[in-house]
Amino acid sequence: MKLDVFNPTFGFDELHRGEEHSIVPEEEMYSAKLLAPRLSNNNNPPKDLVKFSHGTTTLSFIFSEGIVAAVDSRASMGQYIGSGSVKKVIEINKYLLGTMAGGAADCTFWERYLGMRCRIFELKNKERISVAAASKILCNTVYQYKGMGLSMGTMIMGWDKKGPHIYYVDSEGTRLKGSKFSVGSGSTHALGVLDQGYKWNMSVEEACELGRRSIYHATHRDAFSGGYINVYYIGPDGWKFISHEDSGFDKHYQYVAEKAAEVQAQQMSIS
Amino acid sequence: MWNASVVAVPATESIQRPDFMPYQNNGGTVVAIGGEDYCIVSATTRLGLGFAIPTRNVCRYSILNNRVVLATAGMFADTVTLHKVIKARVKIYEEQQDKPFELRSAAQLLSNTLYYRRFFPYYTFNVLGGLDEDGQGFVYGFDAIGSGEKVKVVCNGTGQALIQPILDNQVERKQQYENKQITNLSLEEALDLVKDVFTSAGERDIYTGDAVDICIITKQRGVFVETFQLKQD
Amino acid sequence: MELHISSSATKAENFSSAQLFVDPTRHTTAPLVTGGSVVGIKCSDGVVIAADTLASYGSLARFQNFSRLMKVTDSCMLGGGGEVSDFQEIQRLLENLITKDFCFNDEHIQTPRSVHQYLGRVLYAQRSRLNPLWNSLLVGGYAASQSFLGVVDLYGTTFESEVLATGFGVLLGLPLLRKAYRPDLSINEGIKIVEDVFRVLFYRDARSINRIQVATATSAGVTISEPYSLETKWDFEGFVNPRSTYDESTW
Repeated sequence: MKLDVFNPTFGFDELHRGEEHSIVPEEEMYSAKLLAPRLSNNNNPPKDLVKFSHGTTTLSFIFSEGIVAAVDSRASMGQYIGSGSVKKVIEINKYLLGTMAGGAADCTFWERYLGMRCRIFELKNKERISVAAASKILCNTVYQYKGMGLSMGTMIMGWDKKGPHIYYVDSEGTRLKGSKFSVGSGSTHALGVLDQGYKWNMSVEEACELGRRSIYHATHRDAFSGGYINVYYIGPDGWKFISHEDSGFDKHYQYVAEKAAEVQAQQMSIS
Repeated sequence: MWNASVVAVPATESIQRPDFMPYQNNGGTVVAIGGEDYCIVSATTRLGLGFAIPTRNVCRYSILNNRVVLATAGMFADTVTLHKVIKARVKIYEEQQDKPFELRSAAQLLSNTLYYRRFFPYYTFNVLGGLDEDGQGFVYGFDAIGSGEKVKVVCNGTGQALIQPILDNQVERKQQYENKQITNLSLEEALDLVKDVFTSAGERDIYTGDAVDICIITKQRGVFVETFQLKQD
Repeated sequence: MELHISSSATKAENFSSAQLFVDPTRHTTAPLVTGGSVVGIKCSDGVVIAADTLASYGSLARFQNFSRLMKVTDSCMLGGGGEVSDFQEIQRLLENLITKDFCFNDEHIQTPRSVHQYLGRVLYAQRSRLNPLWNSLLVGGYAASQSFLGVVDLYGTTFESEVLATGFGVLLGLPLLRKAYRPDLSINEGIKIVEDVFRVLFYRDARSINRIQVATATSAGVTISEPYSLETKWDFEGFVNPRSTYDESTW
């Protein structure tokens, strides 16, 4: 029962010994457990019942100074834009960030749960959890629900004893270590820009601008990405929120102007 | 995938009707606006079912305490059940902790309550509005499985696609070419806006009409409810 | 057919129950023996609800003298449509509820409102098990000088109103009830109105009969009439000379 969402003692059963923490009413536990497989087999529930924010662009990469994470902020429900101001970087604790792609509720709920598990780890072990361990907790948790329709593609990143790390974790149970990831419907667009502009040695400003530009280009070409661009940087002292900018109007003309200036400079040098 | 400790099911409980669809859409639209020192939470009273209107007067909101109100569109049986669960939890909290339930706590509670039914969701679209710890009006909008966001203005339910763009434009001053600065609406202006958007949505959405219950939350008066009549067609 | 997966100990049981219960009943998962509309109206000094006495078996008018009204307490009455066996189960549940109150002997009785909420929770719980009680129920009552009229459906939807109807009555009866309703209606006027509604239903609802029962709740308590037949009239122009669909709409 430990990792069961329907009776979430959330590991507190070890702290409050003998105390029963049944958060969910009995009737709900009963019905949800029995009926979930039937409902998912039937494909009967109205299609718009659970509206996912499937469209997304998120990215993160490691460079000489640390990690940069950049995300868009659009949540779509089919054709309708459910929100243009979603915070897709989830602050798990001072040293750990998670990104959000797929079902918004799935991501926020399980990454909040991860935050709690990480805090419990700290209290038990008197030291911070490693990124590897944190990502594995999340991975193991969602793996228990494999095949039941959870939808999340997330990057867990942070700075621990061994330096900066990024892990990609998704609802299929995949967990990958890497130094450059992009997740979501706009990820291909973003990776094109990111790979093209990536260097190991960059200043924090350069790296943040690269992330921002990659997301911008994804929002420009992918209809399911858009809204604002949020950028975070993770250094040895934990994460720092860098910027929050509109991806639509001003940003577009800023890049257009920069491009025009670049072309002009090239022509000048040729002539 | 299921935990092995699932209770054994008596044989009679296994008689299920495989073609029974446990969901029903009763429509309804809910709107909430958070202002400087007030909050408005409103919900239509029509209960729709297909092309029929079984009743024109249901209550889709719950006053959780004198600064937090919950309003819900979607399936009415789920709405009633969800409100009962939330109200009970708020009551228990306030009795045990001897302090009022804050807006952000209510938002987290609602989010979790919805997510616990992730695999058999409440077919409900919620807005939660009220005054936060600083006395400022804020609202939260949620999807059916508990993903929510703290915002200044939100609409949920069958009239969402009709109403939300107007609220973005008039309250947050988004998408305005000339006038981009946010001007805070007074309570009276916000009330007029709410009445206007419901009247307009009532003309184009068959599930919105009859009347709208408007809860006005202020620090001085607590929660004050007025009913605004819409067209009955 | 796949059933829910649980521990290996219960798997065998589920398998056999699948064999025994689910598969043979697959073709009868819809309601079998059904009752039709129930209508109700609040009056100044009480409440009237009524139902016809037909229990259909598909399109067969199987039981023509089946009572779909029930006295729950001295102040509360129930009318039910939909699956008859489920309605009888609900009647048993209510009898148990009332008997328990009686056994405590503390003078506590269920109010019409509490009976209504109780039924709402029961039907919601059953729909949440995907095994609904396939009924639409009207709860009427008169307690503490207050009229009560509420409805519960198979999803557990509950609401109250001055006028209510279930089944075909929602489409054919509700508009008539809404038109006829006044806050100062007397009980006798209320009875007249529901009789008219059932007459109209009998003309157009193929699963109805002109034999009805009327229940009233007033300060004097709950009374359920014996079944009686409604006078009908079939010499309307539209009935005598039904127009062909080729002329124009017969609506």
